[in-house]
This record gives sequence, C-alpha cells and structure tokens, in this order.
Amino acid sequence: MAQIEETTALRRVPPATAIVLCYRLILRQLLTPGRIVVLTLLALVATVSAFALGVADASLDDGVGLLAGLGFGVVVPVVCLVFGGAAIGDLRDDKTLVYVWLRPIDRWPVVVGAAAAAATLAAPITLIPLTLAAAGTGVGNSVVPATLLAGVVGVVAYTAVFTLFGVVLKRFIVWGLAYILIMEGFVAQAGPGVARFALRKYTRSILVDITGADLDLADFSLAVGVITPLVVAVVAVAVAAWRLRSMDID
Amino acid sequence: MTTLPPPNPLTPPAPRSQATVAPGDGMLAVDAVSKFYGSVVAVSDVTFDVGPGVTALLGPNGAGKSTLFRMLCGLTPPSRGAVRVLGCDPRDDRDVRGRIGLVPQQDALFDHLSASDFVEFAARSHAVHDPTQAAQAALGEVDLLEVGAKPVGQFSKGMRQRVKVATALVNDPEVLILDEPLTGLDPVQRRRMIELFHRLGDDGRCVLVSSHVLDEVARLGSRVLVIAQGRLVATGDYRDLRELMDHRPHRFRIEVSDPRRVAAALVDRGLVSGLTLDGSVIEVETLDVDAFGRQLLPLVVDAGARVTEMRPLDDDLESVFRYLVEGR
Repeated sequence: MAQIEETTALRRVPPATAIVLCYRLILRQLLTPGRIVVLTLLALVATVSAFALGVADASLDDGVGLLAGLGFGVVVPVVCLVFGGAAIGDLRDDKTLVYVWLRPIDRWPVVVGAAAAAATLAAPITLIPLTLAAAGTGVGNSVVPATLLAGVVGVVAYTAVFTLFGVVLKRFIVWGLAYILIMEGFVAQAGPGVARFALRKYTRSILVDITGADLDLADFSLAVGVITPLVVAVVAVAVAAWRLRSMDID
Repeated sequence: MTTLPPPNPLTPPAPRSQATVAPGDGMLAVDAVSKFYGSVVAVSDVTFDVGPGVTALLGPNGAGKSTLFRMLCGLTPPSRGAVRVLGCDPRDDRDVRGRIGLVPQQDALFDHLSASDFVEFAARSHAVHDPTQAAQAALGEVDLLEVGAKPVGQFSKGMRQRVKVATALVNDPEVLILDEPLTGLDPVQRRRMIELFHRLGDDGRCVLVSSHVLDEVARLGSRVLVIAQGRLVATGDYRDLRELMDHRPHRFRIEVSDPRRVAAALVDRGLVSGLTLDGSVIEVETLDVDAFGRQLLPLVVDAGARVTEMRPLDDDLESVFRYLVEGR
C-alpha cells in the first residue's frame, strides 16, 4: 500500500461519473431473468387483449379505454414499481447500500443513476408491448404515437416516484401496489379533484388529447399531461436524494 | 470507565483526557456519544480518542460495537454527543468519507459482480486514479488476485470477508474501521490479515478493529477499548486486561458424590472465597485458581468422594465484561 502522505489529497467523484457508476451497478443488480419474464408476460396481456379487440372491430373509445385502463392503469405502474422500488430499496434491504453511501459522492447522482437504471429496464418491457397493442387495436393512426408519448411520460414519472418509495418505505412493493390499486384505481375515480393526484390521469389525458377519444377523468391539456408528471419525477428524485442523505444506513 | 487495571464497577465517564488512547493525535474522536433507538440505549455516553496504529474494540455481541462503528462512518447520527473523523463530521462531510475504509459486519455484497469488478467499483466511486490497478493491488493484499474474475456470490464466507477488506483498502484510506473482519477466516488467513492490519497501522493509519474474541484481540495489538452494555468500561493495554483475567475471582461448578464433606474440606483449607451447595453440585469462587486446581482432586480423594463433573463457569470474555461492568 502507498504511504499515507499520498492519500491526503481530496478525491471527489464528479456527478456525471457517479451517475454512470450507480446506473451500471444498479442496472446489473435489477436485471434478473425472473423479473424480466414475469413482467414481460404481464405486459403481453395488454397486447393480446388489444389484438382481440382489433379483431372484434372495436370503437376508438374502446381501444383507447383498454390502453388507458390495462396498459397505463396496470402494466406501466406495476413494471415501474418493481424496478423503481428495487433500484435503491433492494440495496437498502440487503444492506449493500453502504457500499454506495460511504463514498465521496453526492446523493442526487445515486438516485438519478438508480432511477435511470430502473427506467432503462421498464421502458422496453412496457413500451414495446403497449405500442404493439396500440397498433393491434386498429382504431386509428394517432393511437400509436399517443401511446408512445404517454408511455415515455408514464415510465419516467412512475419510475421516479417508486424509486422514492424504495428509499423511504421498507415494504415498498406493498405500498406501491396500494397506491396503484387503491389510490389510482379506486380513490382517484371519485372525481376530478382527487384524480389530480393520480399519475394515471395525466397519461390518460395524453391519450385522449392526441387521439380524440372520449374518456372520463382525462381533461388535462397535452402540455399539462406531459409537464406535470415530469415535474413530479424531478421532485421525487430531489426528495429521495434528501432522504438518502439523512437516513440511517445499515 | 476504567483504565486497565484495576477492575472497577461502572463509573461515570472519565474526562476525555483520561480516556485518551493515543493522546494528541485523535484521528477518531468520540465525545460523550450516546445512541438511542426509542427506549433502547445502544451506546451510552462514550468518550475516547484513537490515533495512528491498531486499536481493538472489544465487546460481547450486542455491546454496541457495530452501532459505534456506524456512527464513526456517519451511517447513523449520534443521538447525543459528537463524532469526528480526521477532524470532520463523517455524517455531513462528503470529503472525509473518501478517507475512510469500512469493513461492515454484514455479509452482503453485490453477488453478481466478480471480485475484481466489486473492488474496482469501490475504487471508481472513490475517484482513485487508476481504479483497475488499485483493485488488483487490493485483491493482491488479501490473496484473492487469482480468483478475481469469479462472482463473489460463489465465494466462501472467508473469501467474502477478504473481498470486504480489499474494498476497504482500495482507496488507501487514512482511517480503517473494521467490524469483526476476521470472522470466517481460516487460521492462516487470520494471521496474514492481522499482519496486514499491523503494517497499515505502522504506516500511520488509524486501524480500529472490533472483535468479541479475546484471542483475536491478543494478536491484534496492545491497545484495547472495552465496551459492554453500550458503555466504554475500560481502555488501556491488552496485557493489563489479560492480567485482570488471571487475577479476578474464578468460579467453578463441581458435581461430587459427597458434596457436604467436600465443601467443608474446601472451606477448611481456605481454597475458596465463596461457596454454594445445590444438591450434588457445589459452585465455588476462588482467588487462587492454580492452588485450587492442584489441591482439589487430592482433597476429594481424602474426603472419600468422587468427582463426576467439573467445569469453569466464567472462563470466557463475558465474565471479564461482567467483572468490569459489575465488579463481580
């Protein structure tokens, strides 16, 4: 080992380097065959359902309703929950977070790297089947770009929010499912006021705004539908970084 | 707190100057630190300084060693008091985290990574100049260079422990905090690791090593901090601790065929300082363990009795801690 005098110069990891380091580490950590297979099968349920609807000559409202309900109500949030929650939550649970925490790096690049890794895996698993589903409904040319845009926005926002869940909550899967099923799937259906706090309403609004379909609880403009979830994502990352800095590490 | 020797019952914490292990060069400074988890007191009013060289933190399981180490690394804040590492608060100072090497107690590693990748990740996240070379050097220090390409998930407990040590060394830290680093190592690796720690200490690094095994502490170095029930109960030289073990009262459990007669003979000859009888079992306390050992069997034969079982009740570290904490 080198003598101690050589070590005293302060070493700092630039944020971009820290993001890449954490991204690569967590991507490999998240990439397990079991997760990929199960979540891909879940996403393919939406694809198969959409093709079945297309064969039956469904209306635009039915086609977009299926994408909004099954695709953006279940597939996107659940896939993002599994990857986003585990991005830091798994490290905290298995006590390997110390190997990332006790380093001369800021906290926000850790969270950004983790959320980016989760989004990298969630995006193809959700976007490809849902885009195929959009095409399979056969209800209009605008459905595919609407699905892609809503999918990208949804993946970014849900991944960031569930990454925060993984940092803050010990049983992040349970709390995440409660949010998806109870808050978004049930409470948010009560009216437009409550629905404002559900990410699903924004992806739904994007679909409706671009396709012209008639769905309830989807009355935001395209700009609001895109920008608000992205702002939520930034806030979620910031809160996660703040929490990571102040939390106890095992 | 006690400065070894003599053994004393638990007393209020000593002023910092009395608790100093290496006066004037406190690379680690713990000042009146307590840590509470709700109503549970994990660490209570602990004060000490540690300078360069190897220092052993000795304590039974659950004594608060790991909590103290977590506070020293900034992983959890003290509920009271202050912790300083190289003059900085490790909880808030990002830069000082790059000058600490930690071997955590838990076994968890990134099992999908090879040992080389795992240590190299640590090097890169410490902004080490040549991370690949540094990782190879650190793995070489712990004799894992040849298996560096294997995933750590396939490693034995001892090999995983050595990967953790390599990770702690890779940034060439000034302060090494090693939480039971010898756990799971075979005797050869244990000896090599202890030599490595001494070499690092001789380089001027502060090496703080925890253990609950007295034999390990004997080989780790002469300076010890003894923690029990969350309190620092003694600081000083290991040889004094060893002497204390030899000279404290020893307790034995003896099962004999005629306990009353044997008990009377033990008292008559002045071999015991205390004695209790329970059926065929005699529990004795003696201050002269050598004389007791020499004279017991002849005494039993003379009494016409027969020993069916005899075992020490306190020939372990726990009894030393109990003696230091409670004076018994």
